[in-house]
Amino acid sequence: MEGTRRRGARLRLALAGAATIALLGPPAWMWQDSLMPGAYSVMDMGYADYGGALTHVAAADTSAHGSHAEHSGHSAHPASARSLTSLTADPDRAADVVITLVARRQRFRLAGGRSVDGYTLNGASPGPVVHAAVGQLVQVRLVNESVPDGITLHWHGVDVPNAADGVAGVTQDAVGVGRSFTYRFVAGQAGTFWYHSHQVSHEQVRRGLLGALVVTPAARPPAGTADVVALLHLYDGVRTINGREGDVHAEARPGERVRVRVINTENGQTPVWVAGAPFRLAAVDGTDLHEPAPVRDTAAMVTAGGRADIEVTMPEDGSPVRVHIGGPAGVVLGSRSYDVPAVPRPATSLDLLSYGTRAALGFDPDRPDRRFDYEIGRRPGFLDGRPGIWWTINGHMFPDVPMFVVAEGDVVRVRIVNDSGEPHPMHLHGHHAVVLSRDGVRATGSPWWVDSLEVGAGESYDIAFVADNPGIWMDHCHNLPHATEGLVAHLMYEGVTTPFTVGGTAGNEPE
Amino acid sequence: MKLVYKVLASLVAAEVAVQAMMVVLGDAGLFRYVEQGGVIDKASAESGDMAFPEFFAFVVHGMNGMMVIPTIALLLLVSSFFAKIPGAVKGAALVVLLVAVQVSLGLLGHQITALGALHGLNALLLFGAAVHAALRGRRAATGATAQPHARVETVV
Repeated sequence: MEGTRRRGARLRLALAGAATIALLGPPAWMWQDSLMPGAYSVMDMGYADYGGALTHVAAADTSAHGSHAEHSGHSAHPASARSLTSLTADPDRAADVVITLVARRQRFRLAGGRSVDGYTLNGASPGPVVHAAVGQLVQVRLVNESVPDGITLHWHGVDVPNAADGVAGVTQDAVGVGRSFTYRFVAGQAGTFWYHSHQVSHEQVRRGLLGALVVTPAARPPAGTADVVALLHLYDGVRTINGREGDVHAEARPGERVRVRVINTENGQTPVWVAGAPFRLAAVDGTDLHEPAPVRDTAAMVTAGGRADIEVTMPEDGSPVRVHIGGPAGVVLGSRSYDVPAVPRPATSLDLLSYGTRAALGFDPDRPDRRFDYEIGRRPGFLDGRPGIWWTINGHMFPDVPMFVVAEGDVVRVRIVNDSGEPHPMHLHGHHAVVLSRDGVRATGSPWWVDSLEVGAGESYDIAFVADNPGIWMDHCHNLPHATEGLVAHLMYEGVTTPFTVGGTAGNEPE
Repeated sequence: MKLVYKVLASLVAAEVAVQAMMVVLGDAGLFRYVEQGGVIDKASAESGDMAFPEFFAFVVHGMNGMMVIPTIALLLLVSSFFAKIPGAVKGAALVVLLVAVQVSLGLLGHQITALGALHGLNALLLFGAAVHAALRGRRAATGATAQPHARVETVV
């Protein structure tokens, strides 16, 4: 009787133990498997996706699928492999624009007087506006005086040579305290861009390591035009334009055509609308739209990381115009007075799918060499040992995400599908992609070129680009905390390698 | 193990109460901020630190809901295997199930707002299930100390 009871107790204990192992075993294994090594190359991350093209590299590397720790990766390259450090602007050409930017960690005052504990470039945040004309070679020497984690500068929206892309652990090592790094690139396209750190970027961008970059056409601007930069950033949750709380005032004469260059440095999109005059959305992400019509009572959405150039013709009667940027703060354009009442956000938003008129793309997106899917999902799991509900790309969680492999000259189509329940501003480095369709509806307006594309929850986009800028390029969510939560993949050109690693002695941490 | 079961179940219930408090605290701060002229859009909501102090409550709600409570619920289920309380596994499994439903409703509610209402309702079910499990644990715990005594009586 006693024996039976003891045997029963033992059996029950064994069952409980087995149930515990069955329950906790898989998560424990997943936890262990998710731990990242101290240093790793993005080339060894995840699995290669050749977009349907079978190349010699693909044939040699069909097994590359598995965890980061196990497989040999897609870094197996033909003998012609070249390091991305050789992908630079012409080293023999003299620079036209030469700037030094000194980064510090410090307490500083915003233009409005508020004190902020953050980071500065040349003593201020935002850093100085970098101006260049199309075709000029820009040379920026970045000096880290006192930012403990190290820094980089990424030229957001500029299709720079890969070595100047400024991604810590991918295109360079983070610049430690007392060190410097020089970026060189040709400003190939007139438009509105910005720069920001891509080392611990979710924290360094938020706390001020950023600034505007404006590339103007080579010809002098025609008479009767003016240009205003409006960089949106929140410091300690306080909304600012060009580092100033409240309105930015800019002088504009009656009849003058003013281009307000709105730069959204934040992690979510913001609406822009105009009171006192109609406006045209002249450019998106540094590319002019084709024949944009004037609109009124309409808001234009500016994607996180994206830019929108708002063009306003000042009323002849001399009355001022207010460009609202997401709320009370904005740009007020005037001559005699800046007294223009705020108006609420219009209910309608401009749909760029049908805005402007069609124009030639310069390539045929209907005959792509590669087709990729970039499907964003979400599921529970571990990210480097941290439990949570993390983003997935094509069903895979970071770091087991696809590496999109292309060859130079390929026409590439990407279908971005967002099933994650949250919007994502997707940013592809080094390239501009054109939007072909949204939710299956084809674009009928002006060619809509983007480097930062808001993909709403439940939406899908077809985009295309020409792979004309060799290197290894991040393709990630510019809601920067989302990037730290694993929404990062890369676009890699065949035959290009990187000597840099994420982690390691430089402490590279691009997200 | 009975005590562990009881404590973990009580912790789930307490955490659900914290969740309810946090989300209303955050809402209250948000509404006051708006009333005082503050403006909020996606850019400010995603900026990491909002200009009203109660914003921390939303962060706590998210971390608690997606990491802490699921972990406690899982440990509760493990402890139920060893707890020797009648119905312990069933009670803990119900808690785990309701936690999974709760997290899903919370996230899906961002897209389909009506599911947010169900998130509120399911919170009450989860709270009830956790309290019920904790009480079951307590009954068993007091029952266990009484048992040897009862056996002695029958033998004598």
